Amino acid sequence: MKNLFLPGLLWMVLHLPILAIAGEAPDAHFFTELQQQVQTLLPKVRPAVVAILTGDGTASGVIMSEDGLVLTAAHVAERPGRELQVILEDGSVISATTLGLDKTTDAAIMQLNEGNRKWPHVEVSRQVIQAQPGEWCFALGHPGGFDEQRGVVLRVGRIVKQTANSLQTDCVLMGGDSGGPLFNLKGEVIGIHSLIWEGRDENMHVSMAPFLRSWDDMKSSRVIRTWGIGSGGYLGISTDVNEKGELEVLDVFADSPSEKAGLKSGDLILALNGEAITGLPQFTQAVRIRAAGEEIKLRLRNLNAEREVTVKLGARPKEKG
Amino acid sequence: MKRPSKSAWLFLTLCLAPLAHGELHAPLKPEELTNGTQTLAPLANLQKQVAQNAALLLDKKGKAVATATWVGDEGYFITKASEVSRLEECSLQWGAGPAVKIREIRRDSRDDLVLAQAINVKGVRSVEFITAKDLDYGQWLVAPAKAAELKMGVFSAQKRPIKGYGAAIGVRMDDKTPAELKGVRIIGVAEDSPAASAGLQANDIMLELAGESVGEFRRVNEIISKKQPGEEIEVKFKRGDKEDHLYVRLASRSRVLSNWDGEDFANGGISIRTDNFAEVIQHDLPLNPADMGGPLLDLQGRAVGVNIARVDRVTTFALPSEIFWPKIQKWLEVDRHPPKALPAKSEKTEPTPEQPPQS
Repeated sequence: MKNLFLPGLLWMVLHLPILAIAGEAPDAHFFTELQQQVQTLLPKVRPAVVAILTGDGTASGVIMSEDGLVLTAAHVAERPGRELQVILEDGSVISATTLGLDKTTDAAIMQLNEGNRKWPHVEVSRQVIQAQPGEWCFALGHPGGFDEQRGVVLRVGRIVKQTANSLQTDCVLMGGDSGGPLFNLKGEVIGIHSLIWEGRDENMHVSMAPFLRSWDDMKSSRVIRTWGIGSGGYLGISTDVNEKGELEVLDVFADSPSEKAGLKSGDLILALNGEAITGLPQFTQAVRIRAAGEEIKLRLRNLNAEREVTVKLGARPKEKG
Repeated sequence: MKRPSKSAWLFLTLCLAPLAHGELHAPLKPEELTNGTQTLAPLANLQKQVAQNAALLLDKKGKAVATATWVGDEGYFITKASEVSRLEECSLQWGAGPAVKIREIRRDSRDDLVLAQAINVKGVRSVEFITAKDLDYGQWLVAPAKAAELKMGVFSAQKRPIKGYGAAIGVRMDDKTPAELKGVRIIGVAEDSPAASAGLQANDIMLELAGESVGEFRRVNEIISKKQPGEEIEVKFKRGDKEDHLYVRLASRSRVLSNWDGEDFANGGISIRTDNFAEVIQHDLPLNPADMGGPLLDLQGRAVGVNIARVDRVTTFALPSEIFWPKIQKWLEVDRHPPKALPAKSEKTEPTPEQPPQS
């Protein structure tokens, strides 16, 4: 189960020059109201939360349409066309097929395979910007795997930080939660559990942005590996984790900052500014939190030779047409 | 050189920021998190109460090991038994005064609770237990951390019994230890396990466990399988040419096996005993193992149970009050009528702190 997360990553602080929230504390009555809101929503959203058997572990997901589309994390789905077992709240097991995924942001969708059934499902929030730091939210999932006696596990907390494609909350997650839903107080999905750092308030969720942006591609079982719109620094490469678990450059785009710096497809990315790279989401995050114009040092290996290159991050090019 | 004052900087930030990122809020500061001081400020009265309802238990080295829940004015408390296998060697932190001695009254391994009395402590604020039967998903619960700070979380999973899988010591053993070694060689010690905490190392040869000699690994398993998590056993072993002995406090088998390399990200560690409970409430309060034994309360300050096991990063178990409170009340009754004399050793004057030998 531990491989469902990428543990041991260093937390990187993101300083945004932005407004501090007015420091207004809620009164005690506020908590009872919040409790009532969560308790009213729970029976509606719980039946849509599923456990996913991935073959080498367990994860979570959430059904978001009557015809059985399931949101989960890309590191759970791994690739399109996999057939996985899904466990509903009542313990019944359904087969599902993975569709497309966005490897840079850890977003993925799957399709439940029993056709003519109307699935319990939840709504997805389309107002990504509203999932702001300070908002209350709740996480559901199957930490440690499906346990019928225990049921879905609830955690209530606040959004700590919002970035272009992710949310950080203090709803504590662990292995098995991956792919499970984060809800706002309207009962809409605002995040999909993705990874954790060691601190209890360091729980990361994919926001709805990558899902909304790439919905048609993902439904058509496409794999997305490039940076998303609205991201920070831009390298102009596509990468993936190879069989040995190393991050490999698959393609270097023409006229990109990476091409100018001399990156070649087949280069393995070992470290960014001295920080060891252990996976794609970590690398994506490390690039995206840096602004265009910033210089980064990449430690690379090709065949047996290691080298270090300096890349001046660009801004993501505008789409043509 | 004069620098702009702090408030001037703040003013500049406030003025400029909306132009650039008007719609984005800043990441939360620590005090704004769910369990941050600012968020919990409205619960100030409850905060005061939970700190009075509990006290910290320290082992003889002064390390916090468990939390006491006050259950009777005359210093009666309950706590998690398996974290304090030698309770009378522990002391209790009471106000600003010196650490208080403890008299153990009765221990119950089934529920993993122990009833005891803090000697010469009067006028504590006992908890008021109510049934936990009406708790439901999403209900706020609070508890003391370090017997002082209020922590908040929710009832997060269905109430249920937790099966026991016995005890473990946390060593990998050589299944082909040569006969001339007359023992069992340890080839690996699990991170944060009973064996590791006690100081056993790879390549130590275990000679005797709990007074029984061991010649092969199956014998070790046999001896440990008869024990309960929280029990302490003596291990005689050989390191190099030297024979030595130490005491290992066994932990739940499921805990040791699932966390062999410390991979569960528990953040503060997990309890010695994490299973074999008649019924538990599961909640998401950010507590640590030393907070176990402390009370679990609702927002009205009524105790619904006692925190009994920190299990993993997301899981803490509490025993619902109806499981143990009727029994504890009976024990209290027995101990009060007639009042028991305090053990002789507690009457003695406090020994002076250890002094280096003088010559």
